[in-house]
Amino acid sequence: MTVAAKLVVVQTKRTLREPAAVFFVIAFAPLFALLMGLIFGNDPVPEFGDRGYIDANLASITAIVVAISGLVVVPTDIVTQRETGALRRFRATPLRPLTYIAADVVVRFALSMLGIAVMFVVGILAFGAHAHGSLIAVLTASALSVLTFLAVGYALAAVLPSQGVAQGVGNVLVFPLIILSGAAVPLAVLPGGVRQGAQLSPLTQLVELLQGLWMGQTWSENSLPVLVLLGVIGLATAVAATFFRWE
Amino acid sequence: MRSGEGTAFCAPGDEGCSGSVAFGCENVVKHYGEVRAVDGVSFEAHRGEIFGIIGPNGAGKTTLVECIEGLRTHDSGSIGVLGLDPQRQTRLVRERTGVQFQTSALPQRMKVGEALDLFAACYEQPADWRDLLARLGLENKTGSYVETLSGGQRQRVFIALALVNDPDLVFLDELTTGLDPQARLAIWDVIRDIRDGGTTVVLTTHLMEEAERLCDRVAIVDHGRIVALGTVPELIAAAEVEGNMSFAVDGSPPLDRLRALPGVSYVEHLEGRVVVHGNSARFAQEVMGVLAAVDERVHDLRSEQPSLEDVFLELTGRQMREGAPA
Repeated sequence: MTVAAKLVVVQTKRTLREPAAVFFVIAFAPLFALLMGLIFGNDPVPEFGDRGYIDANLASITAIVVAISGLVVVPTDIVTQRETGALRRFRATPLRPLTYIAADVVVRFALSMLGIAVMFVVGILAFGAHAHGSLIAVLTASALSVLTFLAVGYALAAVLPSQGVAQGVGNVLVFPLIILSGAAVPLAVLPGGVRQGAQLSPLTQLVELLQGLWMGQTWSENSLPVLVLLGVIGLATAVAATFFRWE
Repeated sequence: MRSGEGTAFCAPGDEGCSGSVAFGCENVVKHYGEVRAVDGVSFEAHRGEIFGIIGPNGAGKTTLVECIEGLRTHDSGSIGVLGLDPQRQTRLVRERTGVQFQTSALPQRMKVGEALDLFAACYEQPADWRDLLARLGLENKTGSYVETLSGGQRQRVFIALALVNDPDLVFLDELTTGLDPQARLAIWDVIRDIRDGGTTVVLTTHLMEEAERLCDRVAIVDHGRIVALGTVPELIAAAEVEGNMSFAVDGSPPLDRLRALPGVSYVEHLEGRVVVHGNSARFAQEVMGVLAAVDERVHDLRSEQPSLEDVFLELTGRQMREGAPA
């Protein structure tokens, strides 16, 4: 087995052995869908245009989990590994830094996608959620969003100095962005000015992309959110590549 | 022996280096802003020796070693490691060297066997890591999580990681700090075995006893310079530090005759006990000659030789140093 494959195996095992990681990376999305479904059910209601709660909101749960992962979990984890000297230990070997990062990204991506896929299965099978558009398109957008927020996580890890700061900054960012995204609270209930300002948030754009595709819109109708997400990937990757430190 | 004296430099690609020299530094300088952390260091380590680097906190030891390891870039001067340039041939140097950091960890929830297997895969020609764990007495810990091991066991895991590529040169930083005496002695045996297997060992340490017992040669670093280099007996002989002989005596001791001996610097007389301080080749014999000739009963004769610690304090001073980066 090559070192990249070994890294993938070991990182996967490590993550699965860590209860907090299993919860936030894999279990959170399906549990969130389950909880919302049990509380609100999926009967058609007028505030969601005569659709059920799960029907209207399932796709946007993806945005909540990728935001928590990319803004809090990933940077805190990477900064902790830097602080404890775990990254330094790898740096003293001939291992190429990009190999390490690629393996890390592959594992985080795969486990996040697993959680998101199970979430859709729960929504569809347990509550009868129905995608009016292509489920493949929704999962593709989910994959794009996981990558976007992984890049953001790496960028934050590169610029934030310590585990405590990473946790603090992550929490300060994540709650307002989720509230402004329309994934947790319908944007319609927010004041007009706030609603317009919210459009500047990439997370709001992501929710609109996911809900649009779920409701049957085409990709070309959503070119703005896609461009925003690609822009964030580019910017975050540049920041991470410039400032990433191994110790 | 002072730094810069008779050091044949081991340049990258220099044929002579593949012979007896593990690495060489010539006039290496490293600044952090205005501070010269490494201030013109020249020395070399021989193949198959345990080379100790000691110095006060902030003396520049770690920076110097990190420049040699290729983990940090130096500003000027040159460094050759196993005939390679650690700044330009970094991966080749890493293939053939091992590093154990003072502050290092493995990612959480990793088993000992997984860690060794993973790090072995980072190298082109890894050692048999199961064999290595057995040599370090860790063969039963393959399935244990690293964080559940005792301090001594964990330290041996990090030594195993530093040796997993069967390196020609291994750097060990503060190897036994914080370990109990049994674990320390066991690890010293391991290091001697490594040396006897042909690997050059560079040991950075705060513990004078460790340097004294383990190192074939020692460099004392202070203010970014090497202030002394040699075997421990050489360092003690070269430094102007004194030993002492002390004894108890019934009646009045021959203080004047002791003070008159060549090599005696001063004599203390406290509560029936006499301490004679001095430093000369025949110091002990001279003192005993005087004692043999006196009528009073002399008992409880003790001799204290100067130690590496005395040399270290003599060369680096006794004032406390804090806050400087190690």
